[in-house]
Amino acid sequence: MKDGLVTINRRLVFKALSYTVLFDTFIALVLTGIKFGGGFVDNFIVSQCIGISICSLFLAGHYLVRPTSRLFHMILVMIAIILGTVVGGALGSIAAGLSISLFEQSFIPVMILGIAFGLMVSYFFSSRERISRSEALIQEERIKRLANEKEMAETSLKLLQAQIEPHFLFNTLSNILSLLDADLERGKSMLTDFIHYLRTALPMTRGEATTVGQEMERIQAYLSIFKVRMGDRLRYRIDIPEGMKDLPFPPMLVQPLVENAIRHGLEPKIGGGELVIRGHDRQDFIHLEVSDTGLGLNEHGSSGIGLSNVRERLQSLYGNKGRLILEENRPSGLKATIEVPHDTG
Amino acid sequence: MTQAKAIIADDEQQLRIHLKSQLSDIWPELMICGEAENGKEALELIAEYGPDVAFLDIKMPGLSGMEVARRIAKTCRVVFITAYDKYAVEAFDHEAIDYLLKPVTRERLNKAVKRLQKEIAASSKPPSDLSEIVERALAGLYKKGTSGYLRWIRAQHGDGVRLIPVDDVYYFQASDKYTLVLTKQEELLIKKAIKELDDELDPGQFWRIHRGTIVNAHCIAKVSHSLTGRGVVRLKDRPELLTVSRRYIHVFKQM
Repeated sequence: MKDGLVTINRRLVFKALSYTVLFDTFIALVLTGIKFGGGFVDNFIVSQCIGISICSLFLAGHYLVRPTSRLFHMILVMIAIILGTVVGGALGSIAAGLSISLFEQSFIPVMILGIAFGLMVSYFFSSRERISRSEALIQEERIKRLANEKEMAETSLKLLQAQIEPHFLFNTLSNILSLLDADLERGKSMLTDFIHYLRTALPMTRGEATTVGQEMERIQAYLSIFKVRMGDRLRYRIDIPEGMKDLPFPPMLVQPLVENAIRHGLEPKIGGGELVIRGHDRQDFIHLEVSDTGLGLNEHGSSGIGLSNVRERLQSLYGNKGRLILEENRPSGLKATIEVPHDTG
Repeated sequence: MTQAKAIIADDEQQLRIHLKSQLSDIWPELMICGEAENGKEALELIAEYGPDVAFLDIKMPGLSGMEVARRIAKTCRVVFITAYDKYAVEAFDHEAIDYLLKPVTRERLNKAVKRLQKEIAASSKPPSDLSEIVERALAGLYKKGTSGYLRWIRAQHGDGVRLIPVDDVYYFQASDKYTLVLTKQEELLIKKAIKELDDELDPGQFWRIHRGTIVNAHCIAKVSHSLTGRGVVRLKDRPELLTVSRRYIHVFKQM
């Protein structure tokens, strides 16, 4: 379907005309059967003329005007019926060698015939339109479903791949190794944090249903690893209301925001800065906000694989109800807020 | 031979302490004359002490270890330390330059120290030209990074500034002095003119279709041509239709 309700092409014209011829023949037979007119041959010629005229007018009209609304379509049908009946009736009478006056006398029954043809043609077209419409709908649904499946597969693949960043892994291990010589107790506690982080961050060791509190525990472990590594250059605070901790919440949604804040905001900044995680329990929404006083975003910098992953996951989990909002933090840095509906998750 | 001097640059204090103590075991004669926690400090230390060796972490705030090496080319020997830099390691692998992978093992450090001692004893001159190798490694590192096109839109929103990835923008519409930015669910006004945006956005993804409109090609559902030579763009997930003026219709000609 391109512009109008039905696309006129050669195949359709041929099909419409053959149906018309068949239908005309049937009408001629019926008329002869009820002893109308002057025998089968006359009836056949007249009804073919009327039928083909209506059908041609209708097709030509559709081709030239391309009606887009149903009303327009109906008007076209009416015009085709009236014009086609008059022109076709006259032509048919001449072709069958009948006098025009005879045609004038039987105008009303001929008109009724015309309407019958018209209804047949119009039914043919509207069913055609319904078929192509539902075909298009099925096709669209299929494309949507396939796109959806592809997206889901890609997102989970990215989630699998993006967990442990090699820099993070090796730098953390270096620190632990160095602490084993210098400060055994701190080394042990860093190793414990690292194990806790790995346990919950690796997809194969992660449980299914998780809560806000569990996500915060993992982030706590991650941040205390970075606290050892960055020393005074990192200050952080996690400020989640007690009542929010038991709310169900998908894993690894806030984590990438924290990683982003450290990796692109605070770690590359001379002097480091502060990272704050806040939770707000609103009427309909949960807000989880990660703000840092780091370098902030460069307008021409990369758009961040981590952030687009979060966006995609929100989309696939909550549709249009989940959002990731990015804002500039004051006086410097970035503020990322996840907004998800309260009841689900 | 005078006593060999070195500096250590790493943004993580614990790793500096560790390297220092390992070096004092393996090479007790080496004098560590300074520690830096970012690239700028490293440059200052090198200028101040003129060390024979600089141990430089690649990933540091401010200037990276490689940028430091580029600036001090030929004035001292450089040993790079990195946790994981695929491109850098590839670039160094076949060259005379030394690099250490974190965590630094004792054997590997031993080897590096032996090599350094030999070189310092053989000549007082640092290795030929490492700048070319550093350039190559840097090129590799930046290859994966920025493209130069605008990636984020900054928009005043309430009393804050919102940041919108350009990939989320469906289209830009000029409106008086401002430009309207339309995403799937939102409309925001920015001060940047449509002309500026046209220059800064990736032309492969953002198409000018009208004097006042730039559309994200990824968000186009359908384009139809009209008899008058204009086009109409239908978007995914947004109801409005955008007009393609005759001047820009060539964008869609190949379709």
